[in-house]
Amino acid sequence: MSRFFERYEADTSHFFDEVIAPDGIPRSHYDKLLHRFGKFSIDDVKARREVVNIFFRNQGITFTVYGEEEGVERIFPFDLIPRVVPANEWHTIEKGLVQRITALNEFLYDIYHTQKILKDKIIPPELILGSQHFRREFVGVTPPLGVYIHVTGSDIIRDREGNYLVLEDNLRTPSGVSYMLQNRQAMKRAFPVLFDKYKIRPIENYPQELLRTLQEITPNSRREPNVVVLTPGIYNSAYFEHSFLARQMGVELTEGKDLVVNDNKVYTRTTRGLERVDVIYRRVDDAFLDPLVFRPDSKLGVAGLVNAYRKGNVTLANAIGTGVADDKVIYSFVPAIIKYYLGEDPILQNVPTWLASNPSDLKYILENLGSLVVKAANESGGYGMLIGPESTIEQQENFAELIVANPRNYIAQPTISLSRHPSFYNDTDLYGCHIDLRPYVLYGKTVTIVPGGLTRVALKRGSLVVNSSQGGGSKDTWVVDE
Amino acid sequence: MLSRVAESLFWMSRYFERAENTARFLDVNFNLLLDLNKITPIENPNYWVALILVTSDKDRFNNLYSEYSAQSVTDYLVFNKNNPNSIISSIGLARENARSIIESISSEMWEQVNNLYHYLQNITPQFVHNDPYSFYKEIKNASHLFQGITDNTFSHNEGWDFIQIAKYLERSDNIARLIDVKYHMLLSEAQSQPEIVEGSEDIIQWMAVLKSCSALEAFRKVYLSKIDPDNILQFLILNRTFPRSINFSVCAAEDALWRISGSSRHRYVNNADRLIGKIEAELSYTAMEDIYAKGLHTYLEDLEQRLVKVGEQVHLTYFAYHTPDIESSDIAEALPFTGVAGGRPNWSQAQQHQQQQ
Repeated sequence: MSRFFERYEADTSHFFDEVIAPDGIPRSHYDKLLHRFGKFSIDDVKARREVVNIFFRNQGITFTVYGEEEGVERIFPFDLIPRVVPANEWHTIEKGLVQRITALNEFLYDIYHTQKILKDKIIPPELILGSQHFRREFVGVTPPLGVYIHVTGSDIIRDREGNYLVLEDNLRTPSGVSYMLQNRQAMKRAFPVLFDKYKIRPIENYPQELLRTLQEITPNSRREPNVVVLTPGIYNSAYFEHSFLARQMGVELTEGKDLVVNDNKVYTRTTRGLERVDVIYRRVDDAFLDPLVFRPDSKLGVAGLVNAYRKGNVTLANAIGTGVADDKVIYSFVPAIIKYYLGEDPILQNVPTWLASNPSDLKYILENLGSLVVKAANESGGYGMLIGPESTIEQQENFAELIVANPRNYIAQPTISLSRHPSFYNDTDLYGCHIDLRPYVLYGKTVTIVPGGLTRVALKRGSLVVNSSQGGGSKDTWVVDE
Repeated sequence: MLSRVAESLFWMSRYFERAENTARFLDVNFNLLLDLNKITPIENPNYWVALILVTSDKDRFNNLYSEYSAQSVTDYLVFNKNNPNSIISSIGLARENARSIIESISSEMWEQVNNLYHYLQNITPQFVHNDPYSFYKEIKNASHLFQGITDNTFSHNEGWDFIQIAKYLERSDNIARLIDVKYHMLLSEAQSQPEIVEGSEDIIQWMAVLKSCSALEAFRKVYLSKIDPDNILQFLILNRTFPRSINFSVCAAEDALWRISGSSRHRYVNNADRLIGKIEAELSYTAMEDIYAKGLHTYLEDLEQRLVKVGEQVHLTYFAYHTPDIESSDIAEALPFTGVAGGRPNWSQAQQHQQQQ
């Protein structure tokens, strides 16, 4: 064990530790990292952390926290110790994700066409038809290439035994990919030598891959499809990412008011008049896209956009209505969905899930609130959840009322002890933090996954919540070939 | 270029220039007080009321403060967030506009806006009170640095031209107002102490106006040491080569507008080009006696109004494309000194707070 790591206490009896095996020996894919860090003192590492901080501040890499004073921007917390994923483990994750996303896309196609899976009674129809994200207006509409979910960010965790499990499929507007890219840049600044020692698979081509995917789904045969990014605006917490991706792809970043629909075609308003738009990478929720079809009070959308989309004059990525498949209730059916469409067993398992809409499950949930994690079916970002072991009796009683009032909206899962990884953030010492992994999956003519993803870290000691809105940070993620 | 991007470039530039000019307004006064404090008590409210009068902000000021003093006027023009034209508000709005087009401007430009913004967050009234010279110099230098960075890191195409239009429209408007400060001072002094108006104080006041335009040295090179009001007005209004004269600024704005539209002399393609061309042509053929015939104050006020009209037409031609429902009176309200936040209303802020997956 190296000088820098020797004070690290892994606690392998309670958690799966990414670096230290239960016998106390470091896992072999961390050898070079430990060796290199072994030459550092705490002060050396602190000096490098300063390099990284300056990098992030100068790049303006910040996010906004809601509910605090207006306009509060924070630097996204970055943990210096990279996560190493060996190639063979990545191979499993990659295969598992391709399988899962392919099946989910077939599921969406089916739900918006013949609804075979409902007729075959694999999923109770009321769960789909009653979902707030099911868009019945789009039944019968086929997006280009039959693809609905062009960009996915699945959340993957590891259980006590180190098995990779899918916790959530984020099929609407997953964020965080800019942090994945910036984390890599920051690490290259701070630890250039490490990059010589490892064969780290590159991720820098993500913006090009994203642009290629978006161009592939153009609705017409125009030679240079005009792709734009649509953002809610500068007050959105992920605004930095929207502008970053637009700049990296070399396309226009637009707000709703920049777009106008005329004769069912979409145009940008420019100083020289109107310019036709073919593909919109939208980071605006369905409900705000078009005030004529969805929320009439939306100031962020474009009147007439949905009709232009329905006519096939513009492609939206992701398609409208994908939320029906990443509802946390539908999540519990994903293994069945994979089996049904592909005839295969799932490569990546689900976390066991109880549905409050199912009477016997509801009883179990209410009796075990103290040990379960309860989630609202349609919330994200760590909002609207109850972590049983960390909650008070009063919070549990409040949640029980919510669940009974609207059982369709709640699910429960056992409290999983996410795997831990040594982290170096504000403390003066290394300490074990819970982590997850969000790889980004692109789907155009083919499915592409850049190796790695965003490893999110629950930086508060002992916390299980990795979302940036709840005090989480992130670290660089290296897929390495031996 | 997206109309919204062009508009944000325009307002970013305009607010930055406005902050610089507000610093210059205040600087005139401090220059004066340093020069005159043996003659006039430093707290003479006449000097401070003039600053509020030229910014057409009398009502808003009177709602917030009970007296015109160095302290209240400085607070209002530097720190007050309820005053959309205070230095702190202007830089905040410049930054907000820059942030909304961060992918279009160079990262160096963004860093400079950001630096000044963060510098201002840490400035106290006490600091400005103790060392006004350093503070105003810092603002002026930051603005020069921003324009220099822009010239050297940002492509000189359409977007850059919108930055130039905004800068020079704002500047010509502000020079007119700055000269007017002097007019208001003379007026209020004539009412209270008629005997002071003539003589050496008068020259000192005019020199202060020149200094605040960084124009004293350039002026001397042209007129040697003949500092009389005629020459000074001629220099600040009609000189075609000094970058802080009205004529120079109008020409520069006109050039930028023409580069965008492809207009040329004797042939305009839109109303913005037509109105700016008209102002420029008139300035070229104006002599001081024409200005006096009209009355200096009336002449300047009229010029300011016509510059506002140019801004309106830029808006209608380039930013408000295909939205004819906007009435021009609404736009006039959103423009220069009487105005509120340029371009970017905040109504959609709550909706932008969508949860991100």
